[in-house]
Amino acid sequence: MADSKTDRILDEIWKRRLPEGGFASRPGGEYRPDATAWAILALRVGGIDSQRLLAEMRRLGGSQLKDGRIALSPEHPEVYWPTPLAIFAWHRTPEFSRGASRAVSFLLKTSGSHFKRDPNSPGGHDTSLRGWGWTEDTHSWIEPTALSILALRSAGHNDHERVSEGARLLLDRQLSRGGWNYGNTTVFGTELASMPESTGLALSALSGLTAGQAVSGSIAKIKESVRSLKTPLSLGWAILGLSAWGERPSDTHDLIDRCFRRQDRYGAYDTSLVGLLAVARKAEEGLIYALS
Amino acid sequence: MPYRNGQPPIPTALETILRSSRISRRDLLFRLLPGGLFTFLSLPLLQACTRAESPAEAFIAKVPRYGADIRSAILSGFRELGVTPGELKGKTILLKPNLVETRADAPHINTHPSVIRAAAEAFRSLGASNVLLAEGSGHCRDTLRLLEETGMADVLVEDRIPFVDLNYDDVYTVPNAGGHSRLKTLTLPLTLRKVDWVVSMAKLKTHHWAGVTLSMKNLFGLMPGSFYGWPKNILHHAGIENCILDINATVRPHFAIVDGIVGMEGDGPIMGAPKAAGVIVMGRNFPAVDATCSRVMGIDPGRVDYIADSSGRLGTIREENIRQRGETIRSVHSDFDLLQKIPAHRGLRLHR
Repeated sequence: MADSKTDRILDEIWKRRLPEGGFASRPGGEYRPDATAWAILALRVGGIDSQRLLAEMRRLGGSQLKDGRIALSPEHPEVYWPTPLAIFAWHRTPEFSRGASRAVSFLLKTSGSHFKRDPNSPGGHDTSLRGWGWTEDTHSWIEPTALSILALRSAGHNDHERVSEGARLLLDRQLSRGGWNYGNTTVFGTELASMPESTGLALSALSGLTAGQAVSGSIAKIKESVRSLKTPLSLGWAILGLSAWGERPSDTHDLIDRCFRRQDRYGAYDTSLVGLLAVARKAEEGLIYALS
Repeated sequence: MPYRNGQPPIPTALETILRSSRISRRDLLFRLLPGGLFTFLSLPLLQACTRAESPAEAFIAKVPRYGADIRSAILSGFRELGVTPGELKGKTILLKPNLVETRADAPHINTHPSVIRAAAEAFRSLGASNVLLAEGSGHCRDTLRLLEETGMADVLVEDRIPFVDLNYDDVYTVPNAGGHSRLKTLTLPLTLRKVDWVVSMAKLKTHHWAGVTLSMKNLFGLMPGSFYGWPKNILHHAGIENCILDINATVRPHFAIVDGIVGMEGDGPIMGAPKAAGVIVMGRNFPAVDATCSRVMGIDPGRVDYIADSSGRLGTIREENIRQRGETIRSVHSDFDLLQKIPAHRGLRLHR
């Protein structure tokens, strides 16, 4: 059962439903598949029965193209990064198992652009590894790769070659001092800074795929900073990443509630961010276990 | 081979030659073609290199530190550049900062909140009815954390300046008016249609892919990350420099205010070192502003490809064509470090 504060977050999401199904990023905005997928995921993790969300799931299905991808808008089929989010949203819902399966097929046959590593390249990572990009025909980055790994694992592809290669990509791009930047490690010989949201995402994806020793520096890094994080994207993923490794902060609920209240300062959060906070509050062992 | 933020580059053969040798297009024509053939084949290109350019103005103010009276400096710039209450009264002004990433003790990465505050006050004092801050950070996904950790959030709250995260804005799509890259259309944030002025509030920085990042490059941050990816991957693939020109040609921004109080030298736009240049540079003509900034940094704007290409198309960069207001370039000039290991920096130094 959800506690009253979780209920309040879920209520806020529920109230944002569009009359024709689906969700916008902001109250009064236009339908977006990413916002819709995050809202559905949060409501389901929060205990709402999937049968009450069929209209929202159907609206999300309207964003699916023939090849299985979920495009951000019909005019921009190249922007496929909402695809793994839709797989989360449709998870184990019989009415949408075909859509989910087509989305999985799309991810399995799609990769970010990859090419032989150039020893003279100013970048420090292995460019030959296949992950996923934000958009078609662009290089692989941490967030879309981590989300795709999580989506494929949630759909039962834990041992698939693409999941293993994606995990290798994430490990290759782990910073030597712990954590992850957005895609690179070093550029022109200088190591980039670790980012909490990227670090939380990568830790979420790698949990159960690699030994703790391989990411211990990153876990330590995010543990150091999690209580100083005030904003939903960084805090939400930091908590999910730590939770996935059994390092969930004891005061997680306080941290999330404080962050939620900061809408007084920033204005209403995007639906995706509210959804992320709701999931982080509820998913005590991380996203992949919340889905299973 | 040039390499951009993890992206496989797609340079043309000509671009590759120019990049590797740092010679100008005009130099290349003289080197490659014999006399008569040169005249026949190169005339259109030569004409492009020497396009008629209207004169422009750029204003430089000395501002030694962020605690100084920046508002007065900006108002002086408005006066010198002929920005009048008549053209601002009742208008909605979009301030576009350069917010990239935060690190402890690194105020040289992002446009400083004090400059945003001063600009907002200056525009309001001349009658603007609404001033808002809008950014679609190219790198950092957590825009709210950027606002919080840069101190910008405090200024926005205290001064009641609304903020729009352009990465998640609703959008509209228009034909690419520049035609420099292969992109046929550009998808822009809907907020642009709700404002009267777009003001690029850039930072004075070197850049490891583009040479420098100033008022024109700063407009990359108008492009919604939801559609272009982080860090605007589609634009990187289509060519950073061509996309800078396309965005500026399509958006047609109105005014530039460049924060050079503390800029960045070396491995910009994130990992470089602070450079206390003590200036603010302003103007309506973006190529002229960026050329002036470059000269302040000891960089030849004619050797920064996209700035050179902007001349005659979006404005002018020729020194004799730019009426310098406020301080002279000579009085504030200070060479910014350029790194030999960075191909985009090679050959940029201005020889006086």
